[in-house]
Amino acid sequence: MADLRDLPLVDASVRQTATFAEAVARLFDAQVPALAVLAEDGRLVGILSEVDVLRAVFPGYLADLRHTAFVEDDPAALDERARAVRGRRVGEFTRSVDALDGDESETHAAERFLHTGEQALPVVDGDRFLGMLSIAALCHARLDRVEEP
Amino acid sequence: MEIGQPGVAAGDAGPPMDIVAVVIFVCALALIAVEWVHRTKVALAGAALMVILGILDQNEAIAAIDWATLGLLAGMMVIVGLTEPTGVFTFLALRVAQLSRGQPVALIFLLAFVTGVLSAFLDNLTAILLVVPITLLIADLLRISPIPLVLVEVIASNIGGTATLIGDPPNIMIGTHRSELSFVDFIVNLAPVAIVTLVVVTSGLALVFRKRLRIAPERAREIGALDAARDLRDAPYVGRTLAVLVGTIVAFFLHTLLHLEPAVVALTGATVMLLVAADDVESALERVEWSTLFFFLGLFVMVGGLEERGVVDQVAEWLADATGGSSTVEGLVVLWGAAAGSAAVDNIPFTAAMIPVVDSLQGGEFDDGLWWALALGACFGGNATMIAAAANVAATGILDRSGQPVSFLRFLTYGVPVTLASLAIATVYLVLFQL
Repeated sequence: MADLRDLPLVDASVRQTATFAEAVARLFDAQVPALAVLAEDGRLVGILSEVDVLRAVFPGYLADLRHTAFVEDDPAALDERARAVRGRRVGEFTRSVDALDGDESETHAAERFLHTGEQALPVVDGDRFLGMLSIAALCHARLDRVEEP
Repeated sequence: MEIGQPGVAAGDAGPPMDIVAVVIFVCALALIAVEWVHRTKVALAGAALMVILGILDQNEAIAAIDWATLGLLAGMMVIVGLTEPTGVFTFLALRVAQLSRGQPVALIFLLAFVTGVLSAFLDNLTAILLVVPITLLIADLLRISPIPLVLVEVIASNIGGTATLIGDPPNIMIGTHRSELSFVDFIVNLAPVAIVTLVVVTSGLALVFRKRLRIAPERAREIGALDAARDLRDAPYVGRTLAVLVGTIVAFFLHTLLHLEPAVVALTGATVMLLVAADDVESALERVEWSTLFFFLGLFVMVGGLEERGVVDQVAEWLADATGGSSTVEGLVVLWGAAAGSAAVDNIPFTAAMIPVVDSLQGGEFDDGLWWALALGACFGGNATMIAAAANVAATGILDRSGQPVSFLRFLTYGVPVTLASLAIATVYLVLFQL
């Protein structure tokens, strides 16, 4: 069984001093569901996930509201909100999570994904950030191994 | 250890157990008020301490729990939890916003009315959780600040909840504790004063807020064009869910004739709704707020400890002496005392502590006036501060999460005048009609 450090980790990270817009652009380019947010010395501070971005770009009360099929977009209001958020520091939106260690098992990673509800988690070796592991990467690697004997 | 035996015998050399019971209860109230620890943890820890220290034994602790209150609360949680996905509450809130046609005063009155009615027939916390998120959306669509509207709704929820047996936790506790007081008794004796208070207080708030809620005509037209019923049409089981909800409310009105206690009505309604409108029982029962039920459970045991050690009787004697035995003065002391206690702590633990005191004040007789005084004091007192009622905490929490926080002091500047006005109306009402 491979350690997590042997899986296809994605170097998807952003400094906590970066702007929110820079972080979202990085998230889009990296094609993983979450970025690692790092301090200036490279230490892991937390993550910024797609859901965190969604909550920041759209009104926070949507999480408390279940019925919105009748709503029509108000482009001016949405633009205003986007303008207000894009220049803020990504550190303001960062959530702390328990990182996975590089020498931990795939089964442990699968259990962590199921119980934290995260779509991607940072993998570290001590203080060093190794990369982001997504659920897709974990499962793809597992299936790939049995495909080619 | 045999059932019924205290865990640790109270030693003769230790402090008197009545003082220990008071210290535990007061410390618990203080911790609940400052919110350093979750209120359920505080209540359960206080209850456990009372049993472990031998203030009351296991059987007395179990007997102190008002299971009817817990049943009524759990039943209503299931009913509301299964009704919410239909979108009927969103429909109501959006429809009243459309009916206001962009007039701020009309919008304030209509939202206050809907919140008050939902509070009366669901409960005030649920009403707030249903109405505030859609109000934030409406305020966004109208390009106005949501804070005045949400403050009006919080205040309306506490006043509207006063009107019925199921509207506010203090009333639920009183109504399930005294079976002489029926659902209709609550409405006959409390709804009129609640309606008058709601109209007076909403008028005052409309005067204060109307200039801050200027709505552009084109925004009002846009909101008027929205299809409010769209979610309602798409949701499953709307008809049968609403039929069970209405049937349950009708059964509350008729519970005396049907010889059914309110808790039985709520639990039966919940069961019928589970049968006809829930595909998955597990997820339906997730709507039960277990932390709230355990909070009540802990409180009942702590108050049971105070009763067992004679503290409640001592307070009642002191109250009777201080008021010279006049039922009018007693009623007004209960009204204003309950309001002050609810404002400082939380109206649920305060009511739990006051119920046996009112029982003791009455001796063997039954005077409903004192119970109405307690209900009005505890429910109206819930408007004074941000922490005085669970609905206030929930509403300010939603505002906070949406990036529009309301400070404790700002809430106080509206809550205290509203509470004083409400209590003045309640005082006149009680003196003229009840005491």
